Amino acid sequence: MNCQQFQEVLPYIIEHGGNEEEEGHLRTCPACAELVRDLKYIADQAKLMLPMYDPNPRVWSGIEHALHREGLIQEGRTSRQGHITTFATQARSWTPLGWGMALASLVVFTVVLINYRPQLPKTELAAQNSTATANQLNSEDQRLISQVAQQSPEAQPAYEAGLREANAYIEDAQQAVTRDPDDEQAHEQLLQAYQQKETLYQMAAVRSLP
Amino acid sequence: MTYNTAATLPHQMVKRPNKGKLTQVKKTISAGLTEAEAIDRAKAGDAESFEALYGLHKRRVYSLCLRMTGNTAEAEDLTQEAFLQLYRKIATFRGESAFSTWLHRLAVNVVLMHLRKKGLPEVSLDEAMEPQHEDGPKKDIGARDNVLAGSIDRVNLERAIESLPPGYRIIFVLHDVEGYEHNEIAEMMGCSIGNSKSQLHKARMKLRDLLKLSRAEKAVRH
Amino acid sequence: MRISQTRLRAVVLGVSATLGVCQAFAGETHKESRMEIAPGGTLTVTTGGGSVNLKQGAVGAAVVAYTTHSDKVEVDRTSTADHRRIEIRTHVLTEQKPAADESKVDYEISIPPGVSVTVSTVSAPITADGVSGEMNLSSESGQVTVRNANRSHVIMQGVAAPVSLTNLSAARIDIMANSGAVQLTNVWGPKIHVATSSGNISYQGDCSGVGSYWFSTHSGNIDLALPETASVDLAARTYNGTLENDFPLQKKSHTSSSPPKQGSSFAGTSHSGASAVELQSINGKIRVKKQQ
Repeated sequence: MNCQQFQEVLPYIIEHGGNEEEEGHLRTCPACAELVRDLKYIADQAKLMLPMYDPNPRVWSGIEHALHREGLIQEGRTSRQGHITTFATQARSWTPLGWGMALASLVVFTVVLINYRPQLPKTELAAQNSTATANQLNSEDQRLISQVAQQSPEAQPAYEAGLREANAYIEDAQQAVTRDPDDEQAHEQLLQAYQQKETLYQMAAVRSLP
Repeated sequence: MTYNTAATLPHQMVKRPNKGKLTQVKKTISAGLTEAEAIDRAKAGDAESFEALYGLHKRRVYSLCLRMTGNTAEAEDLTQEAFLQLYRKIATFRGESAFSTWLHRLAVNVVLMHLRKKGLPEVSLDEAMEPQHEDGPKKDIGARDNVLAGSIDRVNLERAIESLPPGYRIIFVLHDVEGYEHNEIAEMMGCSIGNSKSQLHKARMKLRDLLKLSRAEKAVRH
Repeated sequence: MRISQTRLRAVVLGVSATLGVCQAFAGETHKESRMEIAPGGTLTVTTGGGSVNLKQGAVGAAVVAYTTHSDKVEVDRTSTADHRRIEIRTHVLTEQKPAADESKVDYEISIPPGVSVTVSTVSAPITADGVSGEMNLSSESGQVTVRNANRSHVIMQGVAAPVSLTNLSAARIDIMANSGAVQLTNVWGPKIHVATSSGNISYQGDCSGVGSYWFSTHSGNIDLALPETASVDLAARTYNGTLENDFPLQKKSHTSSSPPKQGSSFAGTSHSGASAVELQSINGKIRVKKQQ
């Protein structure tokens, strides 16, 4: 057996062992013996490689931001990782208005999420009725708009239009989920709709900070 | 894959050292909070406990992502995605395996899905049937190079792994660095066990070449 | 000696004009300072009206220049002892009841490489030119413009703020714009995600970089203009809107086992389908065109 023949079957004999001829070649061929030693050394060194790298702190801030946007963690937390804060945590102190806005957004989001369940198909009439109410603002929405108007009347139309649009988005996405509860994209759209509304509450809360 | 310590045909692997896989009960994250408690609290939605779990496991997850992709920005994105998935799925963790094992597997799947979307180089079935020649055996035939053993440090090995082609790098990291078996790799990668073994051998051969080249370049510079 | 009437008039006019100009600039104050910041640090700017312009600066220190237009507003600048955080905040002296023009501040900030920046404005437009690295941008109604950079990471939230991204390579983009229109021109990278409620989304580029391109809206329109060379795996779906496509695609079956039951959709690949492109709308139109 020559070196070329030995190395051609090396992957196979590594797994299953070699026959006498192959073992004999290894004993008598320094080049192939060295090759086998090197490959073993590489495999052994790889086993000893411990995790060496810490991610940049912005990775945690990205996680926190994403969880915050999905409504899975409360707003207003400063990360213990310590380097980047979320949008709503820039103030050193909050006014009562700021606390009110933050709590209002949290309550809205919690109530909406608790009430969100995949529904059995509604009748068409019920669907039409729900569409008709989509553009209405609930009491929390009204409160947010009036608070924004108190601070800067010129911003009120944008927030009011945004909230009506977000409510319509939620309603339409909910209908899509209702029509086909297995439609993953419909669920995704519903989540997006809630996130759009949450963004409006967040931004309104931030603007109320001193 | 098996090796022997002597220069005979390889049979048994060197025993893998414990890479910090502590039991859940004994690991303490902070004063009064064990990992098990943090997991339970994170399942209930406690963000601070989740953050504690992040602190405990971020290095291993990130190192895995970095070694598999060879790219810092991608590794950061994938680490973020892995922990986001963890947050969404932690309620399904039943404790049948160690948490770190479960998380690790989740992270591997995140990386592989990402690489698949990018167009992970598919391993051809044909490669398993016919050994290829392009990765080095001919260079070694009849010649004697300097032995690698004892001459490379982990930093050089990390760099060499980074330089591997993506397909080789993934298999090498999963098997030799992270300790997955070929049947597990084949299942994750959607290839045959034969392919996995073949690719691993080629990865090691390629690493050998890269390490020797790096050493030779260093010798020339000095 | 008697001064001629003409000359006298000229002198009076000149003095009046000078006084007028001085009065106009009476409230304006311009300041500039260097603030040390470590690599990996964060610079945060919070302001109402005015403008915020960001550009890439030299390593080690941020250069913060600002112009106030009245004495009814101050700029607070704070920095942590470890130089990892700088905070710049417009502080309106509300008891003085400034008008909108009086409370605005114009910022020009040079950002060192490796420093992430967070900007929050009410109506001030935000412009970042040549800034790589991470940017968290938030504005209610100010135009947000990011252009001419490599490897930027842009996270943006807005209420009615229009967004314009131009010439960004290897970028990661995450935009949530409620009613603001979002325009992307020659933007590519591993992740380009845009979501609006009613804002239109328009993209002109080649979707390269083996990236994930995801555009989602409720009632806005999505317009995509791709060159014939674009390598995309494209899926578009609208629930109640309309679909138009004149970009050549090889049809493929949807990844799910059966086509979606609701709305209209199409899916296809071009060339090797390197980048994943997903367009979703509830009520808006989706139009995919071939660039001429």
